[in-house]
Amino acid sequence: MSLLAALGYAVFERTPSGTLVPAEAAAAWAPAGDVSNAFPFLEIFLPDAEDFWANPAGRTALYSDFWTQADSDGNERQFSAIAIAGERQFLLIERAERRLAEMRSAVQYAHEVSLARDQIAKLNREIERATQAKSEFLARMSHEIRTPLNALLGIGELLAETPLNEPQSEYVRILRSAGDNLLAVINDVLDFSKVEAGRIELENTAFDLSDVVAVAASIAAVRAKAKGLDLTTRIHADVPKYLTGDPARLRQILLNLLGNATKFTARGGISVVVEKDSDRPDEGALHFAVSDTGIGIPADRIASIFESFSQAAASTTRQYGGTGLGLAISKRFVELMGGRIWAESKVGIGTTIHFTASFGLADAPPTSPGHPATSKQTRALRILLADDSAENRFLIRSYLEGSGSVIDEVDDGAPAVERFAQRAYDLVLLDSDMPVLDGYSAAVKIRAIERENNAAPTPIFALTAHVWKQAEERSFAAGCTAHLTKPLKRSTLLEAIQKFVPELRAEPVVAAEVEPWLRPVIGKYLENRRADVAKLRSALDSGDYAMVRLLGHQMAGTGGGYGFPAISDIGAALEECALASDAARMQAGIAELDRYLLSVETVTRP
Amino acid sequence: MTELKKKICMVGGFGVGKTSLVRRFVFSIFEDRYLTTVGVKIDRKDVVVGSTSLTLVLWDLAGEDDLAQLAVSHLRGAHGYILVADGCRASTLAKAVELHQRITDQLGPLPCVLVLNKADLREQWEVEPANASEHGWPVFETSAKSGAGVEEMFQALARLLLSEGQ
Repeated sequence: MSLLAALGYAVFERTPSGTLVPAEAAAAWAPAGDVSNAFPFLEIFLPDAEDFWANPAGRTALYSDFWTQADSDGNERQFSAIAIAGERQFLLIERAERRLAEMRSAVQYAHEVSLARDQIAKLNREIERATQAKSEFLARMSHEIRTPLNALLGIGELLAETPLNEPQSEYVRILRSAGDNLLAVINDVLDFSKVEAGRIELENTAFDLSDVVAVAASIAAVRAKAKGLDLTTRIHADVPKYLTGDPARLRQILLNLLGNATKFTARGGISVVVEKDSDRPDEGALHFAVSDTGIGIPADRIASIFESFSQAAASTTRQYGGTGLGLAISKRFVELMGGRIWAESKVGIGTTIHFTASFGLADAPPTSPGHPATSKQTRALRILLADDSAENRFLIRSYLEGSGSVIDEVDDGAPAVERFAQRAYDLVLLDSDMPVLDGYSAAVKIRAIERENNAAPTPIFALTAHVWKQAEERSFAAGCTAHLTKPLKRSTLLEAIQKFVPELRAEPVVAAEVEPWLRPVIGKYLENRRADVAKLRSALDSGDYAMVRLLGHQMAGTGGGYGFPAISDIGAALEECALASDAARMQAGIAELDRYLLSVETVTRP
Repeated sequence: MTELKKKICMVGGFGVGKTSLVRRFVFSIFEDRYLTTVGVKIDRKDVVVGSTSLTLVLWDLAGEDDLAQLAVSHLRGAHGYILVADGCRASTLAKAVELHQRITDQLGPLPCVLVLNKADLREQWEVEPANASEHGWPVFETSAKSGAGVEEMFQALARLLLSEGQ
């Protein structure tokens, strides 16, 4: 065997006539007979080789790509071809297994990495889709559950305020407490899914720490007292009083821990202690400890209690209830507050849950009223209410009963917009999900009507069972003043009214101080002023400021005489701005007259 | 009588199953292990279409990737080609469309079919066969793993080549 054959080459010489003949003793693997017949690959290499032989342009060799083909025994073999130029011309067929194997391992690696990357990207897309589907499902379920729960809880609240005998009161109490529990469970699940989806963002507002602790304790104390447990709180003297952070989430953590402590304690007491975190130098780093004298947690379970859907024993769930999510949520909140949470416990002696958290320091007490006014009643308002659920409309009507408010009820956004175009309201309540025109779109249209009329914005409250942050953002984007989530409590609605519905400039006055002989004509006088509102609007629309001035002048001269000095004031103001051709202020004056008349009409109604 | 031989090229992105389709068709075997092709693999298979028997010489060309372009010169003398895409990866259909354009630009129109492989993973597909057929070529869904559609696809191409030849 020749040297080249031993190295794995079969050599052919190209004759001047262009045929390829074996140049030396053939290697055992080399096929007998016509070489281009044996290697089909040559049909694409030989034309290139012929060009090369004809014009080597200084090169000595031309290499082909690799190819693989089966030998006569069916085994796959790898080859390449080399054309050699010079005085004589040769074609070498190379057994290329080793050269190809080296090359393949590099290419193979690159391809495997690339395929794996594709696979990961695809899985990520799938996970994203699944997470989104889950979020949507939760949002929808929460809406579906919260809407009827709204009606149940609200009616429970109303029922409790009616005269009831003892067993009835007890039934209502149970009904309400079961409803509250159900709501708490739903809120837990939602909170947890938001935490899981990374959607929780902490607020950063100033708050009074002692208020937060006191409120949480007072809520928990109701249950503790019912079980005969003492509940004490202690805040060390060196803990800063005013902090910045998320008071609502802090209260939620405390309520959660206090709720657990109460749940798992039959006798003894519960305490909350707040001190500075001795491990950290900054002033706002605090250490909270909630201790109880309850059943305790077995040592082997203590690490897992902060995992989701986990209670120390499955039987615990049956005995004590709960979703097992509270501690998982608390843990996440604590982590967001830059702290950690852990437990110490002895079975039969009690448990202490510790957590640390970092807050900023506020130099002054929070500016917002710490305790929202708890006035039981709101003033008389003209309200436009759009909700497709008759139960919810009933509930809101009931909440405002006795306030003297007049509520125009519609069951969709479209009639709400129509009504709004016809008259002024003090407040508009829009359910977010209505069949034809939803609350968001209705709010947008209402704002457009106001802009067209240069009218001051009417407070609009969005009512929704969606608790996602995006729902709130959507409400505000649509121009709503406030976003109230269902189940809507009476106190929440009244607080929002107090906060967002501006006080009238003049308090409604009943015409009590007028001469007795004038009384029978007061109704007619007010009716005429009501008609003036329409006249004023059309005058303003047509640019007839002289008419506005005239009507304003008349009102200025008569209002006080009939016992309505506010009508005189408004009239005088209208006269003045008509003189100045100030359309925006005229618009505002007319709206004010409308509102004022409404309050007077409401109050004077029998 | 001279032997009727037809050169057919398998082209497409890497990892779409070109080699596996040939192995399934020629040897009726499938291996789950991915072994990338370097250069060209050449196999033969005799088929009978109606009363005509012919030899398909299958040129299985290395899949194109970011580092190495398909050598269109390898398709010289081909009677037709099979564009292979992986139904699970939409990018491989785009690659097939791109290759088809390059081949047509350099060699003029040649008979071809499009194959969406990995039909055994149908639930993971990103490619809609309806969208794949909008380019006007016959589309086949195959599984080199199960063998589904493989024989039919090669048969259809052979018929296409015979009808072109007449």
